[in-house]
Amino acid sequence: MTFIDQVLPSGLRVVIEPMDAVASAAAGFLVRTGARDEVPEQAGVSHFLEHMCFKGTPKRSWHDITIGFDDLGSTYNAFTSKERTFYFGWVRRGDLAAQIELLADMMRSTLPPDEFATEKNVILEEIAMSRDQIEHHVYDLIHERAFDGHPLGWPVLGDEKTVARLTRDEMHAYFSQRYHPANMVLVVAGNVDPREVLDFAERLCDGWPASAPRPQRGLPGRFAPGTAMLHLERFKQHSVCWCYPGPALIDERDSEAADALAAILGGSNSRFFWNIVQQGIAPVASAWRVDYSDCGLMVLFGFCEPEHAPALSVALQREAERVTREGVTDEELGRVKNRRRTSLVVEAESPYHRLTQLADDVDVFGRPRTVAERMEAVESLTRERLAEYLERWPITRDGLMVSVGPRRWPEA
Amino acid sequence: MSTPQEFFHQRLSNGVELAIERLPGRRTVACDIRMLTGLVDEPDELLGLAHITEQTISKGTAEHSGQALSDAFDAMGIQHASWVGRESFGFRYLCLPEYVGPAFDLHAEMLRLPSFPDESCQVAVALAGQELTALEDEPDELARRELARQAYGSRLGRHALGNARTLRSITRDHVSEFWRTHFGAARLQVVLAGPLEPSRVVDQLERSFAGFGNPPDDGRLPRPIEFSPVRTHRHKELEQEQIHMCWPGVPVQSDEFAVERVLLAILSEGMSSRLFVEVREKLGLVYWVGAWHEHPRSGGMIFVGASTTPQRCDETFGVLLREVDRLAEDITEDELRRAKRGLIARTETHGDITRAHAAELASDLFYFGRPRPMAAKIAQIEAVTADDVRGYLSRHPRDRLSVVTLGPRELKAAG
Repeated sequence: MTFIDQVLPSGLRVVIEPMDAVASAAAGFLVRTGARDEVPEQAGVSHFLEHMCFKGTPKRSWHDITIGFDDLGSTYNAFTSKERTFYFGWVRRGDLAAQIELLADMMRSTLPPDEFATEKNVILEEIAMSRDQIEHHVYDLIHERAFDGHPLGWPVLGDEKTVARLTRDEMHAYFSQRYHPANMVLVVAGNVDPREVLDFAERLCDGWPASAPRPQRGLPGRFAPGTAMLHLERFKQHSVCWCYPGPALIDERDSEAADALAAILGGSNSRFFWNIVQQGIAPVASAWRVDYSDCGLMVLFGFCEPEHAPALSVALQREAERVTREGVTDEELGRVKNRRRTSLVVEAESPYHRLTQLADDVDVFGRPRTVAERMEAVESLTRERLAEYLERWPITRDGLMVSVGPRRWPEA
Repeated sequence: MSTPQEFFHQRLSNGVELAIERLPGRRTVACDIRMLTGLVDEPDELLGLAHITEQTISKGTAEHSGQALSDAFDAMGIQHASWVGRESFGFRYLCLPEYVGPAFDLHAEMLRLPSFPDESCQVAVALAGQELTALEDEPDELARRELARQAYGSRLGRHALGNARTLRSITRDHVSEFWRTHFGAARLQVVLAGPLEPSRVVDQLERSFAGFGNPPDDGRLPRPIEFSPVRTHRHKELEQEQIHMCWPGVPVQSDEFAVERVLLAILSEGMSSRLFVEVREKLGLVYWVGAWHEHPRSGGMIFVGASTTPQRCDETFGVLLREVDRLAEDITEDELRRAKRGLIARTETHGDITRAHAAELASDLFYFGRPRPMAAKIAQIEAVTADDVRGYLSRHPRDRLSVVTLGPRELKAAG
């Protein structure tokens, strides 16, 4: 028995991975909505709503919810991304039912009006905190420019204006449209009895109201190469990024190749590490795959002292050209596979890590993937596959160069 | 004191201290190697030297180039990392059981035969200088660095990156000399967790580290904390003000350590904890607030931190202090029970991860010089009463407070 994947009468899908060798279990509710499913004037509502789901239900006050988690000794949290919202808890196996009951109750939040203003202040503090981190500015500018005019370009947190003007009623309407069984999945991994989980989930979620399907997501427009610069005097380091179109997550074959390429270029013991970092050009140089269900980017980036920005830019491009011209080596590919083999075994001993991976797989591929299946996908990579990938997704031309930091560079 | 059955613990003839937690049935092995020297051993004029040593020890040996070493780790899919702290260097790895031996061989080679290539040393110094610049863009880390100086004094309060002036002075010869003086088998603690047969590990370690180094035998001695109850502010253009404070707690080895853990859980563990409830949930003053403790061998320090927009910093500071002080007045049986249950439950859930076992055992060796069974640690937590917490707070009041604020506005409030 690898997975149990079943849709309950309420329409809620439940995916379970029993793990007999562990003593704990983790559960989470995946809600298939995120920043890209918002309208511009409500940017940030998905994330704000995630906070509000901790604030009260018909059965519990916010204090009861927090005590509920902490009474279980749960390792718990929630996060919102561009495409999804995920609530989870990791507990001792005997506490799983209580954990699922608490999470399920939160999915029927009352969004208590008297908590709304206070929580809004918390979100505004979170936005202020993100402004003190140069990485956030880089992330936001890449998205703003690469997905210009598309909801993927808007920040997950929203901004001061959209958060400040958002009303509780607007949030409630959004909640009703998105937090319904057909748009959610209960994911469970660990030492569990699947029958018990299914029966319990069916009782808990019976009567949850149905709603219309989430509006169809639109594809972003054509990627526009060019240069984007954000001059921020108060930071001491500068960031240089080269962004190129990349495969969507759903493109399993090219996604695997993109991950391998990112590791070979910018992972540990990578080309960037030896040819950029260890040459003293920048303390950070890496490759980052921005991956969404239907589109993606490959970002070659680094952080350096402002005077090194041009050298870093040249070095990133030089490595991109070299890998395109010469390809990768069997040794490099072998290293990627070896590292993945270990990390998958490590993942298999942790219910929490399996839970987050299952949520990813169910959301993107519509089905859970076994550790063995994922290993097989990596094992099938060849030098030729990576060469084909680079032909399809070139990283040497028509890129978007993003420059963020205290230096006005490149000069106009 | 006898070693609990699940553990193996032995000081080998070459001086290496080895501890193993047997975890039959696991599919990974986690290893923590600790060399008992760190920032405290840097000469005053060469601050940052331990970090440069840590960065360059993997950049070449008598037998392999740095890249070849990395390739050899990758050939076996070994996840490895290193760090340097106040009193120790750490090298940790995680691998499939069949690679434990070869992984040790590589670490032994790295620790015993480093070549410290001149070019790598120069690059490491240049990169550390750039990281020092980058640190200015990390307000939280910057505030922690400032407070560490006030909390621990000029030796234990050092930052790994030193400062720009001392970094510039560091040469390959200094690095090599630091390694020669402070690295050796007698200062080595090795911890493993996984499906292992101790006798095979013993044989290998005896061989690998025989005759390695001859450092002075003071790596296990505690260094004194020099606490300064002062308040300092550094002006910096930021959206948020960083507020960090600390006061002395108890050492890990103290009978009161379990009480301190429970106390900190009540204060800051989970969303029902006092700081989260009072500062964030009720007043919406912050996104981030937390309390934690740190432990050099000689003592402990309790920290509280938060970041908030400047117009709210005085109120936030006042609430933080109020919550710390209120603990002595109205701790409830419910929150005590919840704090204890949380600590124990998280220990048990995280026990599924092999890596967590190695980290726990490495900590036991570092502070106690012996493995300690989990059941005993859990019993200590379970035994904590509300009277214990009140007693702790009366014996260790926060009457001497060290505070750092970083941001656009200095605090007005008294504390």
